[in-house]
Amino acid sequence: MFEAFFRFFFEHSPAMFAQGEIRWAAWTGSFVAVAVTAVAIAAAVVSYRTGARLSLRDRLVLTSVRVALLLLVLACLFRPVLVVRAAVPQQNVVGVLLDDSRSMQIADMDGKPRASYVQSDFGALDSGTLQALADRFTVRVFRFSSTATRAAQGRDLGFEGTETRLGAALSAARQELAGLPLAGLVMVSDGADTADTALGEALLGLKAEAVPVFTVGVGRETLERDIQIGRVTTPRTALKGTTLLVDVVIAQKGFDGQSVTLDVEDEGRIVSTQQVNLPAAGAPATVPVRIMVEDEGPRVLRFRVPTMPGELVTENNHREALIDVRNRREKILYFEGEPRFELKFIRRAVTEDENVEVVALQRTADNKYLRLGVDTPDELVAGFPKTREELFTYRGLVLGSIEAGSFTGDQLRMIAEFVDRRGGGLLALGGPRAFSEGGYAGTAVADALPVVLDASLRQKDGEVMRLQVRPTRAGAASAVTQVGATEAASVERWNTLPVVTAVNRLDRVKPGATVLLSAQDESRRDYPVLVFQRYGRGKAFAFTPQDSWVWQMHASIPVEDLTHENYWRQLLRWVVDEVPDQVEIRTTSDRVEPGSTVSFTASVADKAFVELNDASVTATVTGPDGAVADVPMAWGGEKAGEYDGTFPAAAPGWYEVRVQAMRAGAEVGAAVSHVRAAPGEQEYFDATLRAGTLQRVAEETGGRYYLAGSTDTLADDLRYTGRGVTTVEEHDLWNMPIVLLLLVGLLSAEWGYRRVVGLP
Amino acid sequence: MAVVAAGLVGGGVAFAQDGFFRGRGRFNPEPAEARVEYDGRFSFVRLRYQGGFRRDPGWAHDYPRADWHFQRILEEVTFTRTLRDESNIMSLDDPDLGFHPIAYMSEPGFWTMNEAELNGLRTYLQKGGFIIFDDFRGARDWTNLQARMAEVLPDARWVALDASHPVFHSFFDINTLITEGYYGEAQFLGIFEDNDPKKRLLAVANYNHDLGELWEFSDTGWVPVDVSNEAYKYGVNYVIYAMTH
Repeated sequence: MFEAFFRFFFEHSPAMFAQGEIRWAAWTGSFVAVAVTAVAIAAAVVSYRTGARLSLRDRLVLTSVRVALLLLVLACLFRPVLVVRAAVPQQNVVGVLLDDSRSMQIADMDGKPRASYVQSDFGALDSGTLQALADRFTVRVFRFSSTATRAAQGRDLGFEGTETRLGAALSAARQELAGLPLAGLVMVSDGADTADTALGEALLGLKAEAVPVFTVGVGRETLERDIQIGRVTTPRTALKGTTLLVDVVIAQKGFDGQSVTLDVEDEGRIVSTQQVNLPAAGAPATVPVRIMVEDEGPRVLRFRVPTMPGELVTENNHREALIDVRNRREKILYFEGEPRFELKFIRRAVTEDENVEVVALQRTADNKYLRLGVDTPDELVAGFPKTREELFTYRGLVLGSIEAGSFTGDQLRMIAEFVDRRGGGLLALGGPRAFSEGGYAGTAVADALPVVLDASLRQKDGEVMRLQVRPTRAGAASAVTQVGATEAASVERWNTLPVVTAVNRLDRVKPGATVLLSAQDESRRDYPVLVFQRYGRGKAFAFTPQDSWVWQMHASIPVEDLTHENYWRQLLRWVVDEVPDQVEIRTTSDRVEPGSTVSFTASVADKAFVELNDASVTATVTGPDGAVADVPMAWGGEKAGEYDGTFPAAAPGWYEVRVQAMRAGAEVGAAVSHVRAAPGEQEYFDATLRAGTLQRVAEETGGRYYLAGSTDTLADDLRYTGRGVTTVEEHDLWNMPIVLLLLVGLLSAEWGYRRVVGLP
Repeated sequence: MAVVAAGLVGGGVAFAQDGFFRGRGRFNPEPAEARVEYDGRFSFVRLRYQGGFRRDPGWAHDYPRADWHFQRILEEVTFTRTLRDESNIMSLDDPDLGFHPIAYMSEPGFWTMNEAELNGLRTYLQKGGFIIFDDFRGARDWTNLQARMAEVLPDARWVALDASHPVFHSFFDINTLITEGYYGEAQFLGIFEDNDPKKRLLAVANYNHDLGELWEFSDTGWVPVDVSNEAYKYGVNYVIYAMTH
């Protein structure tokens, strides 16, 4: 609309004014006209000044209008021209990039698929917009999805691409057309970029070479009726037997208040099903889903809602997530400073858990220790570990009621480094020798803990707080506090659990910490019970009661009740969740397109978790057909201890990547990861027209954005980008309709004003 | 560990001075209800049951001096925080019994119980409780204890313990169980969870022995110090074991 108005008043397109330059083409008569105009202005001023019947205001208005009129005429007599550089016909190249991805099959253009627009308007060189371009330029057509390749014309497109990488496509076209007189690029797409990398880098290259991109948006910005699994947040790895609480976001439009069934399948077996009531006003629903991962190895979980009536896109009604389920024994060291029942019952809670091993070091008296659950006769024989190498063999560390003074300064720093550098999980329990009461304020361990320790604030000796523990809002949605079949049942169970006691004064938690369980003491003050924070690479927890075993032994608890066991099992599993090994492997994505290259990185550290740059690292990749290939890995040179490698995932299926790191003839460690090569459904998620993205591409590169069907001026606009082989054109501006309108307007204004004030 | 009881021998003077001997014992067989509010510290819990002589109930034998002496020694030799000069007496169906996962029963040869007490003890043991039977001798007492425990845990089997079991090494190393008990040659028997010797002990019985009596008189000089010490060792080991297993 703006374009049409502009052209109506100014005769030329805004693009021409933007690129061109306004100059004056004065001739001899122009200077005569200056004299004539000066006389005319003087006459007007004098004439209005002597008009006795006029007030000062009338004189000023009428003189100004007359002078403006005369100056406008004078300006026209100086012959203003717009000087633009226009592309020489057929001497320049235009790259046309057509979106060939699956999302172009969505039929949201008056019942027709987006692809049909591309095929009709850009399908052949002898019709539509492509013809208009071909009349003026040499056209190079590209099809793009994950990469850009040359195509003869739009009709050749199959719209089967499983990804849309706008940035990669633009860069590829720019590089292929480098050296040619390029007037600009035209990108026809729905703008739904599925690339992992940001668009900015590609745009930077285009801006550096001043290549304008003209974008054409295809599709609609909203779908009237659609439901999709918007987001699923799952961990990449999980310990076998862990109950995960996964947040599933169901986005919807047009199904307010309706009820849908959300199913979760683990390799075809339904592991969870629940009814979800969709909120009003098109708001998304966040559904916590509880899933127990029981089978070892890479598992694909499929989250699914049924197809609803009237949905245009049904492919986004399910989403898949990969979880590497590991069957290993996670070793936790529990150091308890005084004999008390907490140790017994925590150990007992995880006795049956094959994946969590609690090794206990119980100090029973001064310098007297009881070792429980050790693997070798030498383990912990000298008490609490004195070296990082020894401590870092554990993945979790529980500090019971043990005072800071029982450690050396180096051991306290070691404990903090256990979390920060080793990435381990630290759990500090309440007790008379814990927290401030245990002298931890001001130590390195206090830095790691999620609660604020103040040496001046200590609980009075013998003063006990009695706590009815309840989950906080964050806690109610956390897997660790789930002690009932549903979230509501869990909250209800917490409300009925017996009171426990605490003997530590804890008034504040750290700013970055999350309180998952809290209680009110007798004076109605909030008291943190379970607090968590990330610290460096690891996690630190504080669990403040001194006797959670009451949740097992109290008379109100039936024998068969598993609340205490479940709680501790979940908490200890979380403590060791995603704790890194000496050798770790990660891939950029858990799924790649068949035929693409998988990039992966291994991080290697020694037993004290100091990164190693001189290790010999090899990856063994086992493909879906069982073929084994060795991939040598090299230190990337940027980050300490990180080694990079790639391999092609030609065939669809599972790829197992096993990395082994050696140093001085000995193995440092090994790690296994899995990657799946399979076509993705990403194209169908949030598959509306992304006008914003396309506008950004156009604006940042100096091009223009058009809606599909409004590309009449595209070819003309491309002529005036100023790039390629150009010729200089001069366009007179005095004959623009706006000038005539201004003249008429000023005359009418003078006449009207004179009528109003009663002049002839 | 001669120091164990030596501390108490000295301490006994103080007890006597503050009127400790005016307390109950077998000569004052009607102990008042003893109840201390749970505050996280270890409390000696003496189980009260029906049966025995009305004026001299077996469950109360050696109370309170045995209980208090034992607590004091436990706190002296280990880092366990215990009550001082007070302890609990509870019935088997006491709702607060769960706050004390270790309980002591004296003279189980006279032990009888009703349905509620039976259920109370059964759930206590199944949930993680530990019970010490002390001060009994001969076939009659032993038969009664076996019969009562058969009612509580019908599938449970008593097993004679040997010195290699962790309960005898949890704090002190007791390397032989061949010992003269209070009533003759002592035997130490136990019941394992699920009758599996690899699992935890949930009950021990000191057959032909009376540790409580030896604890009670450990500050009087009537019992040789080494004998009292040995008695404390068993008690301390039982508690440390039950707190860790």
